[in-house]
Amino acid sequence: MTSEDFSILLLTVEVATVATLLILPIGVAAGWLLSRGGGPLRTFAETVVSLPLVLPPTAVGILLLEALRKRGTIGGVLDSYGIELLFTRRAVVLATAVMAFPLLVRPARAAFEEVDRRLPAIARSLGCGPFEAFRRVTLPLAGRGILTGTLLAFSRALGEFGATIIVAGNIPGRTQTLALAIFQRHHIGQDASAMRLVWVTVVLAFGAVLASEIVSRKRSRVEGAVG
Amino acid sequence: MIELDLSLPLAAFPLQVSAKLDSDSVAVLGPSGSGKTSLLESIAGLRAARGRILLDGNRLLDSARGVRLPPERRRIGYVPQDACLFPHLDVRRNVRFGMRTGSREGTFDEAVAILDIEPLLGRFPATLSGGERQRAALARAIATEPRLLLLDEPLAAVDVELRERILPYLLRVRETLHIPFLYVTHNTGEAAAVTSEALLLRRGVVVRQGPTAQVIREMMTTSVDPDARFDNVVAGDLEASQAGDDRLFLRAGEARLVVPAPASGERGGRAVFAVAPEDILVSTRPPAHVSARNVFPGRVVTQDVSNAGAWVRVAADGLEWTVRLTRAAAQDLGLEPGTRAWLAIKTHAFRRLR
Repeated sequence: MTSEDFSILLLTVEVATVATLLILPIGVAAGWLLSRGGGPLRTFAETVVSLPLVLPPTAVGILLLEALRKRGTIGGVLDSYGIELLFTRRAVVLATAVMAFPLLVRPARAAFEEVDRRLPAIARSLGCGPFEAFRRVTLPLAGRGILTGTLLAFSRALGEFGATIIVAGNIPGRTQTLALAIFQRHHIGQDASAMRLVWVTVVLAFGAVLASEIVSRKRSRVEGAVG
Repeated sequence: MIELDLSLPLAAFPLQVSAKLDSDSVAVLGPSGSGKTSLLESIAGLRAARGRILLDGNRLLDSARGVRLPPERRRIGYVPQDACLFPHLDVRRNVRFGMRTGSREGTFDEAVAILDIEPLLGRFPATLSGGERQRAALARAIATEPRLLLLDEPLAAVDVELRERILPYLLRVRETLHIPFLYVTHNTGEAAAVTSEALLLRRGVVVRQGPTAQVIREMMTTSVDPDARFDNVVAGDLEASQAGDDRLFLRAGEARLVVPAPASGERGGRAVFAVAPEDILVSTRPPAHVSARNVFPGRVVTQDVSNAGAWVRVAADGLEWTVRLTRAAAQDLGLEPGTRAWLAIKTHAFRRLR
């Protein structure tokens, strides 16, 4: 592994971590809201949230690009504050965050739906305010689902390609993640060095999945038969 | 004192309860699906009922004045049907859950002692039996030092083993902590043993309110609640009998009853027993040469005859016994209020609740 390989790995992990941390609070809140609501509004919100899952990543990339252009809806606002996003590392974070978001929200929503509504209600009658009841009862009970979603989202963020290359380009040392570097090296015929990076991703993915397995095992042992 | 005047739409009918409860122990009776649980949840603040709820003069709810205290400010301990323990916490942390920093440390030990849950403290709810869960949930509620306890006994508890019943613990809570309570149960014998006042609900409205014994009497003949049980529940102090060995005396009021000795070998202390109304014999003459160890005279208080059979209430030595006869037997005996009657109860008809 060359030092270049290593810095690509670092950048990828850094971007995926930041993106995951960024969507964690929003995704948990969205998952909770979706678990509570009902009716057509919820179905609509659910569909919007899930769109990145079904759209081609490049299409999501183009939509983001449009929105972030200096004349675009979001880009205009950011530009007035002097914030530049496109083709920066922040763009990589944004693209991976958007793509990973549904993978966090869906398991989180399912986990919240599993929590008996009466448990936080009982917590209220025992003197907890609504937020305290959420923090001490609902959140820990949904914890496993949220953790699963977080790890899924993180894994997705590690491998994001289509949306990233459109809003952040493929700039070595700046926006080039593992997925982008593998593509580039393969494209210019450096198959051996591309293969090195492929192995790095295999090890990385293996580690992430293994970690999630270990964490969920530990939790189920603590909680006994409830699992 | 509780003043209720509330309404809450339910799926099948509206809950519409108006009642003024003066006693500090109230039974809530009625068939399944009559709105008992919804009533408790409304009082606890977990349902969006409208109207008025006053607890000792405190306004918990007053829709006309725009008052609706959130559940966390009502200080009401609620023990739901299935206990609803927090599955991610062991019993110790469940019981401590509602204790605030600065609350008396003694309340935890007290709750643990009264409910006898010391051996359960390290266990998770999933590993507990139904009765153990209820005890833990009751401990969790009293550890917060509530102004009112709401207990919802599951219908399934009708079949719960006697030793698992929550009633004896409720008696202890009443005797040591003096927290007023509302108790939903299908076991009218238990209701009679621990409450002095009762509400009978049917399709969301109060159809009877009054002294527990009186309300229960009405239930017997109207078969309002097909799941109701009319056990005689007797609480008293155990005493060694001269016969020793396998029998003990139970002193309850002026009565001294012969009951089976527990296998545990205890020979004293408080004990609660249940006798099914079918297990008592009635005679209009002093019965002689019977094997039953408990034979005593009393006076018929009431007799009600319905399709299901005849229900006779007999007062003796300060206790009142419910006896169930066939209609033919009741007719042959010619029982009427005021008639002298002897009761005969076998030692082993007394089933230990605790």
